[in-house]
Amino acid sequence: MESERRLSKRENIICCIVAIVLLLVLLFPLFWTFITSLKTEQEIFQIPPTWYPHILNTKSYAAQIETGDFNMFSSFFNSFVISVGAMVIAVVLAVPASYAIARYKFKCRKFVLLFFLVSQMLPVSVLLTPMFIMFKGIHVYNTWISAILADATIGIPFSVLILKNYFASIPQALEEAAYIDGCTRLSAFFRILIPVAKPGVIVCAVFSFLYAWGDLAYGMTFILDQQKRPITAGIFNFMGQYGTKWSYLTAFAIVAIIPVVLIFIFMQKYIISGMTNGAVKG
Amino acid sequence: MGKIKEFFRYDNIGLLFVMPAFIYMAIFVGYPIVSNISLSFKDVSVRNLANGEQNYIGLANYIEIFSDEVFRKALVNTLIFTIACLVFQFLIGFCLALFFNKRFKVAKPVRGLLMIPWMMPMTVTALMFKFMFSTDVGIINYILKSIGLIKENIEWLTTPGTAMAAVVIANIWIGIPFNTILLSTGLTTIPQELYESASVDGANKIQKLFNITIPLLKPTIESILVLGFIYTFKVYDLVYVMTEGGPVNSTHLLSTYSYKLSFDMFQYSKGSAVANVLFLILLAVGMLYIKITMEGEE
Repeated sequence: MESERRLSKRENIICCIVAIVLLLVLLFPLFWTFITSLKTEQEIFQIPPTWYPHILNTKSYAAQIETGDFNMFSSFFNSFVISVGAMVIAVVLAVPASYAIARYKFKCRKFVLLFFLVSQMLPVSVLLTPMFIMFKGIHVYNTWISAILADATIGIPFSVLILKNYFASIPQALEEAAYIDGCTRLSAFFRILIPVAKPGVIVCAVFSFLYAWGDLAYGMTFILDQQKRPITAGIFNFMGQYGTKWSYLTAFAIVAIIPVVLIFIFMQKYIISGMTNGAVKG
Repeated sequence: MGKIKEFFRYDNIGLLFVMPAFIYMAIFVGYPIVSNISLSFKDVSVRNLANGEQNYIGLANYIEIFSDEVFRKALVNTLIFTIACLVFQFLIGFCLALFFNKRFKVAKPVRGLLMIPWMMPMTVTALMFKFMFSTDVGIINYILKSIGLIKENIEWLTTPGTAMAAVVIANIWIGIPFNTILLSTGLTTIPQELYESASVDGANKIQKLFNITIPLLKPTIESILVLGFIYTFKVYDLVYVMTEGGPVNSTHLLSTYSYKLSFDMFQYSKGSAVANVLFLILLAVGMLYIKITMEGEE
């Protein structure tokens, strides 16, 4: 409230301190996970707990590139391939679709829009069994492709609904000017509209990637081989087998959020714009 | 040929652009929805999934699940889980939004950093909270003990009531950023003059909050709550990783129970029936969301 009012110097300092305390409290789980990942298993079980690793243990990270059960490197790679695949499908399909919804009053437009809205609300449980049967039928079960195909279904409706607002906000005159200059519909779309809507396209790419990166249900249900599974399923598997090996588990957790942190650092403004425009996920 | 060309000449050219995405979604989402409904009226288990006769058995699966105690428990749990999460994440998010809308130095970067929990894979969040809530090594028990709130370690994830509290807390942590950011954006749209003239009229902070801020934020609040409901009601990974629905089914949600029926017990038809009940409730609430979104379309 009253954001325009200038704060006095004293108020400013108090607010900064409160903000930092809030930040520390809210991000404590992350900090604690990171600290734990650098401790030895023995130190983790020590009471009272230590607030920083007294003996620095990087074995949990090193083990991830060796072979065996503790290897998360390959799962990380699997997740990456799956997420990029899903992202590409989502963006390639959503860009023209959202343009059409924003610009043309074609037949069944409302129905199409309604369908995207409903598919955005679907719980995974509704789709899992039919998809499972379908993927077995088309012989992509137990491959990356199954997870890619399934994950793209989260990115597409989100992207269509976000991008439609971007395209709608581009003035019609810009497009008409392109036609006068001799552009066809297709070349105007590729050479004028997509470059102007680029921030929106990036938002969609980032979110489609993140949704796929965070998915557990599809990766775990459609891919059985540990060697092909995404990192989320790898972590879940490991938790089932070695329940309390917290030094390894926390290190896996940290590795799994590296892309998230990188995206956050480089694409923060796109994330916030995506959240406010699309208002998706809770 | 000429007719086809004529059809696509004006607005219907949009159909060509929208078709690829629509067909993709129809195959991988539309068809599964229909197939899931039909599955729920059959008797498919691991025995006859791939081959063998699949008979239609009418409403038998639905009758069976509604007399299933675990299902009823999961239904109630899902409601409790959703409402508890919504209330707290909204209230905390609202306070944070009000606070971070003040113009102090670090407001923007700090508010940005608070987004991270929302972006993380839920599996990772679940792992972190499972660790923090664990009985012997858990930092939460340690903190509660050292400030004297408890004497003995609480077995958070292996006691029914506290397990639910733990998953609710973890989910609130994920939901706070979503509420904060959306409410912050809503707050910036309120004209400052309103506050200034209210101050002239002698209104205090509380009066301004209830007479200006909340009424003007109503559309934002509505969509946050509706969307929050939809996304919380179908949460799956978080609870599955933290508790797998246990102990003694006390944290089973409709989503986790449906998964368990289908992929642990291989009772595909019963699992589908549970998933459809979940979907139906979502759809009912989702109508509100659809109404809000479609109205903006006119």
